Amino acid sequence: MPEPATAPDANVPAGMMEGDLVRRARRGDLTAYDELVKRYQERIYATIYHMTANHEDANDLAQESFIKAFSALKSFKGGSSFYTWLYRIAINKTINFLKQRRNKHHISLDDLDFNAEHDPDLVALISEKTPQRDINLSELQEKLNEALLRLSEPHRTVVVLHDVQGVSHEEIAEIVGCNIGTVRSRLFYARQQLQGFLADYIKA
Amino acid sequence: MSDTNNNFEDLKRLLKLKRHEIPPPGYFTHFSGDVVARIRAGEAGGAQNILERIQSDSPFMAALLQLFGARPGVFGAVATGLCLLLLVGVLFMDRSEPGSAPTPELFAQSAAEPSPILAASTPLEPADNGITVSTNPVSSLQPANTLFGSPQNPLFQSAGFTPAGQ
Repeated sequence: MPEPATAPDANVPAGMMEGDLVRRARRGDLTAYDELVKRYQERIYATIYHMTANHEDANDLAQESFIKAFSALKSFKGGSSFYTWLYRIAINKTINFLKQRRNKHHISLDDLDFNAEHDPDLVALISEKTPQRDINLSELQEKLNEALLRLSEPHRTVVVLHDVQGVSHEEIAEIVGCNIGTVRSRLFYARQQLQGFLADYIKA
Repeated sequence: MSDTNNNFEDLKRLLKLKRHEIPPPGYFTHFSGDVVARIRAGEAGGAQNILERIQSDSPFMAALLQLFGARPGVFGAVATGLCLLLLVGVLFMDRSEPGSAPTPELFAQSAAEPSPILAASTPLEPADNGITVSTNPVSSLQPANTLFGSPQNPLFQSAGFTPAGQ
């Protein structure tokens, strides 16, 4: 998701170490916190968006996650990285939101970027070998999101973090608060389920 | 459970489609500014409710709450168990202190005596020292009238006044 960044603040160099930024933000320095938000906004938004399949909800939840993280910075002991801690807040917030909104999913998808049509993997998927030959990328996107929403929240979290966001098993275990074995078994089960839901769109 | 054994390659390829989903142009340009503006507006203090505070401060309690939320039956069983434990504790305390239990003699004695409410509302006999004995805090220290002069109350002493030179 390439996005033009805003002009960096003169008081906070863009290359400043994360630990220094966190220390300054803990003292109430909003300029430092602004830099932290800029560093992680895309990843946090994307994670929440892939969990909810709704842009408006993802926007609200991402903003609230950052606000909550700022208010809870004093309780951040530094045992894990700020990034992992922030992810945990965002995931917990999203799961709580999804539990409250159970069975009332409203899909509001973001657009696909220009590169999607030229991605060789995706082109191969919608080629003649796919059982559903007439499907286009937008339909495939919708079916994929519907299938993801059918997964339970813990399974969706693991698939989104690993297969979409590229987060390692170890980091997921830290974020979710379980052991690596649980992450692996959840990932396996979630993939199996997804494969079943999307059997018509995946080559046999 | 390896990926190769189960051939999830096509699924992974399909999941790559998610990475091409992008928010409206310019969305991230104002995102951090909006967050900081909301923090400045004072939302940071109120944004953390009790549940969220528990989740960030006490992971054990958060896990317990999650378990109760996911399985209400467990919550019911734990609550019933605690109630039973409390009941057993109360019964045990009663049995371990037999002196504290009201005896039949006490019941008989209390039946013979008028209740404090009745005692306060009915006229009382003065005691030997002239003070009416009552459970009523107002009337208990009031000296009772006697037939011959001042009341015989040890709390009061009559003061004599003799002018100088007499």
